[in-house]
Amino acid sequence: MFIVMEITSDPNIKRFSLFSLAFAIFFFVSCNSPLFIKGVVKYAPYFTVVPGPLYLLFAIYFGLSYGYATPKLLKIYSGSKSHRRNQLKYIIIAFFLAFMAGTMHFLAAYRIPEIFPHDILVITFTLIFAYAIVRYRLLDITIALTRASIFVIVYTLVLGIPFALAGFLGEWLSIHIGQNWWMAPLVLMAILATTGPFLYIYLQRKAEDRLLKEQKRYQDTLKKASLGMTRIRDLNKLIKLIVHVVAKSVRLNFASIYILDNDDVLYRLGAEKNKSNALVSEISSTSSLINWLTKNKDALVFEEIKRQMHDHTTEELEDLRSQMLSIDASVVIPSFIGDRLLAFMVLGEKRSGEIYSQDDLSVFTVLANQAALAIENARFFEEAKEMQEQIAQAEKMATIGTMADGLSHQINNRFHALSMITGDTMDTIHLVDMSTYTPEQKELITQIRHSLERIQANVVQGGEVVKGMLKYTRKGDAGLMAITLDKVLDATLEMVQYKIKLSMIDIVRDYPKDIASVVGNLTQLQEVFFNLIDNAYDAMMERKDTLKEEGYRGRIRIYTENVNSGFLTIHLEDNGIGVKLEDFKKLFTPFFTTKVSSRRGTGLGLYVIKKIIASNHGGTINVSSTYKQGTRFTIELPMHN
Amino acid sequence: MPVRLLIVDDEDDVREFAASFFRKRKIEVVTASSGEEAVKIVVSQEPKIVLLDIKMDGIDGIETLKRIKELNKQIKVIMITGRDDEEAKQKTKDLGAYGYINKPLELDELEKMVMKLLEK
Repeated sequence: MFIVMEITSDPNIKRFSLFSLAFAIFFFVSCNSPLFIKGVVKYAPYFTVVPGPLYLLFAIYFGLSYGYATPKLLKIYSGSKSHRRNQLKYIIIAFFLAFMAGTMHFLAAYRIPEIFPHDILVITFTLIFAYAIVRYRLLDITIALTRASIFVIVYTLVLGIPFALAGFLGEWLSIHIGQNWWMAPLVLMAILATTGPFLYIYLQRKAEDRLLKEQKRYQDTLKKASLGMTRIRDLNKLIKLIVHVVAKSVRLNFASIYILDNDDVLYRLGAEKNKSNALVSEISSTSSLINWLTKNKDALVFEEIKRQMHDHTTEELEDLRSQMLSIDASVVIPSFIGDRLLAFMVLGEKRSGEIYSQDDLSVFTVLANQAALAIENARFFEEAKEMQEQIAQAEKMATIGTMADGLSHQINNRFHALSMITGDTMDTIHLVDMSTYTPEQKELITQIRHSLERIQANVVQGGEVVKGMLKYTRKGDAGLMAITLDKVLDATLEMVQYKIKLSMIDIVRDYPKDIASVVGNLTQLQEVFFNLIDNAYDAMMERKDTLKEEGYRGRIRIYTENVNSGFLTIHLEDNGIGVKLEDFKKLFTPFFTTKVSSRRGTGLGLYVIKKIIASNHGGTINVSSTYKQGTRFTIELPMHN
Repeated sequence: MPVRLLIVDDEDDVREFAASFFRKRKIEVVTASSGEEAVKIVVSQEPKIVLLDIKMDGIDGIETLKRIKELNKQIKVIMITGRDDEEAKQKTKDLGAYGYINKPLELDELEKMVMKLLEK
């Protein structure tokens, strides 16, 4: 009954418990009275009591208590989750045994033979409880005992003292107070009944403060820490702090945190405290651990898995167990944002060797959810910062481009002037009639001419350098002219071969030789096809690496159509990894990139391409793609004449 | 009447030394430091050949070329430019420029082109 009271917070149960305690005390006080038990007789093969009239009442009380508590327990049981469920299972079984034992005992008193020695059942009941407490963390035993004892002691006093007063001192009182002596115990009872609850609450709080001092201390620390977390914007710093605070305040031998990677494929070890020897740095998002967390949205306790495996081993449990072992986890606490598992915290054992209480787990869960918010926050901030950096970088490049453009003109003009001066001077010397000159004078002239030739050579070389620089600035000349697709592709391949390995893929030009020219700008169209081929190459390499298909080879096919009059339709089709549906809409958005870190793009490629085709050429560009199959870009450019 | 060559460039050194080079070849050289000045000289002195820098302050080479051609279609104009500029090349060709030379040029290159013109 008291256990049920502890598990739920239903006030009705508390009231009922008090009521039943009063009965228990009543029966306890009266157990020596012949009204209750008249005597003991041997009733083969055991002894049994000879029941008085109150005894029947006691039996009824016993039955009612069980009858009241059991449905409540069953109800809680059916609504409980794995860990609690196990605990309740044992409570229910134990209670049933106790009830059977009691029933047989009562029946024996009324001369109905026991079918089984009830004492053995009582022992079994106690053993089951003890087992459950040790093995299934059935209640934090010290707290449960303390609470129950305080309750019993306080109310035994409240209800017991007046009874005792009446029972033992009744005569003495009647002598001294007179006829109305019974008022004294009644008044006392009234006073005690009023102060009882306060006393009970006060004592309980005091006792728990003392017992849970350690737990309260770190729970407070964690609560405070979780409030401060959202203010930290550096993701790395944040997760390090979380791990540090948890490990230190709870005094864990180990703690770590895994964070969902940018591409949602895996969880990466973000930070750890007190390095363990067996550390896994990445966990796939399709692993059984992640599946369990996503499905249950609850803390995962290693002991719990072991217990469940004890009941019945499944492959999933086996997987979970080995995965938890590999990351050294006693407990795994998930951090969710909505339905998205953003991260999870791995906790090792407490240094004290204590178990994780339900209170612990709920504090950790609160912390973990707060951490999820903070992580999301920090990530968003970092992304914004990164984007800003990219914009700044793009602007810088543009500025450098413009500067280089102006600068190279200036330098070129200087070279030009130098070339004129040396050229003319060399020419002057060349035209001189040296026949009358002395050998020394001839030698001098030869030296001067040689110097001038060297100057001229250097000027020409300098001019080449500037020309190269101008090529890199590639300031988009808006001029359009008739240009063939072949010429564009030739120029592009010449450029792109420095970035990608052309031998790894096939590029097929699948269009007639006499195809019409388009009106376009070579440099800009080169940029367009450069980016498209470069992207296709990345997509094909990604497919090769991720799908690992037998005999796969990247292939780009370029073919044309004449759909719209006046426009040439060019298709560029690859058999790469393709675009995921959710990324598709964002393809032409500036700074959007899906390329993995090593070959990460600026996210500007397709954005610029669209601008070139649409704004500069008056054409269109469209894309269709199927994930894991390939992508096709379709460009329409105005035809020449 | 000797052949008259007009050199248009906003660089003093370029004007001075290019002029010196051609004068030694018995060619009469006049110079202009801007497009506007060049147009005036075309009107007053009717040169046969013009060496015209594309990039200048004030009106640029392309505009100058246009005005010269409006005044006299017979004048041969050789454009001189700072870089390989397809667009400008196309445009000046359309406007009737005779040739196109990239900076920095070597004088023998220029000489060849001018001499070829004079042989005609």
